[in-house]
Amino acid sequence: MADDPDKVWPTGLTLKEAEEVHSYIIDGTRVFGVIAIIAHLLVAASTPWLG
Amino acid sequence: MNNAKMWLVVKPTVGIPLFLSAVAIGSFAVHLAVLSKTNWYEDYLVGQELGSSAQSAALTEGGPALASADVTATPATFATEAGGQVVLVLMPDGTTAKAILQTPVSLTDVQYR
Repeated sequence: MADDPDKVWPTGLTLKEAEEVHSYIIDGTRVFGVIAIIAHLLVAASTPWLG
Repeated sequence: MNNAKMWLVVKPTVGIPLFLSAVAIGSFAVHLAVLSKTNWYEDYLVGQELGSSAQSAALTEGGPALASADVTATPATFATEAGGQVVLVLMPDGTTAKAILQTPVSLTDVQYR
């Protein structure tokens, strides 16, 4: 297939594809953050960490 | 946000595993550091009250220093706790420790069934 002029090298992704990948990574990081916050609240409540 | 343009430079098949393993290694290191410096997880594993081994360690650590502790100067608080007397001891480093004075059990006290 003729090369897509939107492709950007060196990775060859188009900007649209890059933004799509990046959005998944951002969402994943947010989920990780929420889980971490919940874990820290549980530890703070149930251990002598914060007294 | 223009951070997405990083994927025009770094291939996602390389960048994503790298990113995830960095987070995993970092998280593992923090857990290791916390668990090596605290003992409430050990207490939890053996079913003790969390933080109790820290208190008892503080009391035993105070052993050698106990002799030089200035007991008389501090207004000791007496409370009977399971037949013992609890004395508040002012340690040389300024912290206070609880010492439990229990009357020695002599053989005559023990009733044999």
